[in-house]
Amino acid sequence: MLGGFIFLFAPRNLTNKFQFAFAHIFRWPLSIGRNISLSARTQPQLTDVVSRRKYNQLQNHLANLTEELNQERQKVKELSRMRNRRPLEGAGLVFADIITSSTDGLIINRGQNDGLQKGQFALGDNSIIGTISDVSPRTARVELITETTSNVAVEIAGLKTVIQGNGKDSARVQLLSIKHKIKIGDNVYACKKPGLLDAPMIIGAVAQCKRDNENPLLWDITVKPACDIEKLNDVAVIIMNPQE
Amino acid sequence: MRWFRFAVFICLATVVQAGLVDIIAVTRLNIKPDLLLILLVFFSIYCNRTDAIITSFTIGFAADIIGSTMGARIISFGLFGTLLAYLHNVITIKKMPYQSLAIFITGFLTGLLVHFLTLLRGQPAGHNVYAALFWTSLYSSFVGPFLFLPSAWWMRIKTHRFGQY
Repeated sequence: MLGGFIFLFAPRNLTNKFQFAFAHIFRWPLSIGRNISLSARTQPQLTDVVSRRKYNQLQNHLANLTEELNQERQKVKELSRMRNRRPLEGAGLVFADIITSSTDGLIINRGQNDGLQKGQFALGDNSIIGTISDVSPRTARVELITETTSNVAVEIAGLKTVIQGNGKDSARVQLLSIKHKIKIGDNVYACKKPGLLDAPMIIGAVAQCKRDNENPLLWDITVKPACDIEKLNDVAVIIMNPQE
Repeated sequence: MRWFRFAVFICLATVVQAGLVDIIAVTRLNIKPDLLLILLVFFSIYCNRTDAIITSFTIGFAADIIGSTMGARIISFGLFGTLLAYLHNVITIKKMPYQSLAIFITGFLTGLLVHFLTLLRGQPAGHNVYAALFWTSLYSSFVGPFLFLPSAWWMRIKTHRFGQY
């Protein structure tokens, strides 16, 4: 019992070492189990139609490019003849397989040895799915945008705000005044963050928009992630200015 | 008690719980049976009191390894596993409906305690926690008694002889 309380109140980076060690030792059976689960869940697709996942990937890519183009146009307008670097030009992507996945986050098979650090953004199907919350030499934990502990700065319809996960399969925005026009289907982009993300990237779309029950002057917005996180096999972690 | 078999069994159950049980998850809440909870009840019912207490804390540790907050399940599984082991001295839990009920009640109570311990640590709770807790316990209670027989075979426990002490 005492051990339980020690674990409970010990710093999370210490206790996470046990979880990382388990994930590392049993990474093969866990990966196999996850692949079997994913295969069992995948429905048969028509051969002459692009898959929903591929469609979402392309949609996300399009949304990223559109936003990138808008940013570029804005910069061109503002800076006129000044030269500028293309967003994410110097960034590196570290691809990682998912060892375990749950509503509490993902554990991936890349860590400090691969250049991963706390706070870096993780991509799934070309969209932001979360950030690295803990890292060990060989594994890392991705805190999903849908987790209750997750707070990510985002931009909706040109307005900067913060989304917080709701512990299920979506996230919420509760700090936007109703005077701003938000509509269902609006794309939500993760804001630029120096050293971690140098161009806005799609994170999801507005799925529901209603007045907040507690404060009717604010919106209660539900944001659906741009990709189906449960069905992801792998993720990519953005490393700005990677050291070769 | 065959501790080596127990260690292998718990490792296997933990890996299956972390990676494979998603196949039989239902609804949008991703409700799935909790194998470690089922094993907690199994060992509390079929082992002697000392073994039941040790296995409860060990299974709690395994549940924490694949959970979100370390420590919460060690406490709750240990506590309720111990209580169930003591209760088993008074009430025989041999029939399947009683085993189901034991799993359901234990699952709900351990889940509640885990929830409150997580809040105590300052971590925010998700939505529909109580609904998820209820359905997970119910799902486990349906599946659980059917896993008792293979578990008893693996652990070489003769279920008909260990009813009550």
